[in-house]
Amino acid sequence: MATCTDPSPRSVVEALRGDRRRRPRTDRSCAPGLRSILEDGIFELLYDTVPATPLIVRASSLRQQSLSTDIALSAHARVRGILVNQVLRLLSVGALVTDPFDDALRAWRLEVGSGELLDFVDRLSGDDLARLATDVTAHAVTLTRSLGPVSPHWLARSAVRASVLLASGSVVLRDVVDLMVGTTVGEVASVALFDVTTSPLGEGAERTMRYHALVQTLRSGVVPLRTSSFSTATGEMWSLDVDAELLTRSTHEVLEALSAIARHA
Amino acid sequence: MTTFTLRRSTPRDLNELVVGAPGTLVALTDDHRRSLSARFRAVISNDHRRLDAWSVERAGQPSSSFRWSPATARRLLGNAALRRVVRDALVAPTEAVADEINDQLLRCASGYARPGSLASWLASLSASEVALVCAEATNWAVQVLEIAQGLQVEWRVATSDAYYDVARARTSLRARRDLDVPLGEGRVVLRVRSGSPGKSAGPGLRSDLTIDTLANPKGIAPRRFIGVWPDAGVALSVDGTMADLRAGARDLVRTAVVQERRHHQMAA
Repeated sequence: MATCTDPSPRSVVEALRGDRRRRPRTDRSCAPGLRSILEDGIFELLYDTVPATPLIVRASSLRQQSLSTDIALSAHARVRGILVNQVLRLLSVGALVTDPFDDALRAWRLEVGSGELLDFVDRLSGDDLARLATDVTAHAVTLTRSLGPVSPHWLARSAVRASVLLASGSVVLRDVVDLMVGTTVGEVASVALFDVTTSPLGEGAERTMRYHALVQTLRSGVVPLRTSSFSTATGEMWSLDVDAELLTRSTHEVLEALSAIARHA
Repeated sequence: MTTFTLRRSTPRDLNELVVGAPGTLVALTDDHRRSLSARFRAVISNDHRRLDAWSVERAGQPSSSFRWSPATARRLLGNAALRRVVRDALVAPTEAVADEINDQLLRCASGYARPGSLASWLASLSASEVALVCAEATNWAVQVLEIAQGLQVEWRVATSDAYYDVARARTSLRARRDLDVPLGEGRVVLRVRSGSPGKSAGPGLRSDLTIDTLANPKGIAPRRFIGVWPDAGVALSVDGTMADLRAGARDLVRTAVVQERRHHQMAA
């Protein structure tokens, strides 16, 4: 079931954690079944061809229709997305972010050292750089106002990577969850996945939310409590409680995406 | 024959790997150490040689020179923070990491930090950069804590990595280890790694086992050495048998040989 909170929620973190008394028991039985669905589907897709290199599925593979041009993929938009994510990382450990653009850029430089997108930023003219800084600051302010304080006891970790191998490594599901709170250890489900996007939320964001939940389930063997997506463009947040139906739906979406990837490989 | 076991890294699978470790304890004697030293001495090197699982996995290919970064600092800070969390359960991993970073900064401010050390690197960073380092180390600490809390046996955070200097062979060996599980008279060692295991993860793990055993004052091998890749959700283990220890030693010597051959080729 999808729920839409107010455009400006009182606190994103509060919405993520939800009502403690209404949390379901930890589901550790779902993962093998989901893996079987994927393995069977992959066999049907690839039974007569062994890919020379692994076919890689990412959240972006589900977000966008193949061969379509997405304005969110422009260098400016990608840099903005990366920098807003850096702001989230800093906020997750309780850092005081006074100058979002400068702080995020410094953190990003430290993390990656060099790269094509950093070169893009370095080559920007004064006007373009100021435009990017203003853009990032606007998105970061929306995020900072909406996020709310993240308690250190919620075990918040940011930019959590996952890489799940299927079909003996012929297919890899890669994912990065922007923020994860809660623990997989315990009798009650508490893991909440949080994705930040600088684009407005759409159908693709919903598929991405389901994909995060699926990959996290396959990786840890534990079904997360909920998966959420927050748009810093609109201040809107979508949240889905994770259940077997949602995860099964995601397996079909992954197989569809994989089919498109295999066709173009 | 090597006894690798590949499993998922769920708490149930990890517990089975830990509890099901072979009961027989194997020890390396002085003869074994002398034999290893002779083999390394036979591979003549002008420089001091440093080998670890990573160099074995990369078949002796030279790595880029070390530099501090959030990725290289996270394990050191994360494990140190975890030791604080174990000492005081009321401290959250993020707080423990922040405390650890503050201690490092204090060390630098007091003049106890050497140039190039973690403390002096942290001191050179801006507040937002330090916060990013804190976020990376927190990720590490929480994932190791989750693995440890899933174990149904007593565990402790490893006090340090295992180091062994091969006598008269100008060779240092290093094995990374994150969690120690005392089990009867023996122990099981867990090493947490990022990413997913490659094709050479097994030999790397086996060399970790050998180095850990060599670094043990009594030469007693861990009953099992488990590599955990939480990003991929898998665990790979190798048993502490004499065959595996020998294979691990052979991998290390072979890596030294390949490294030396590369040096000669480059010099020529």
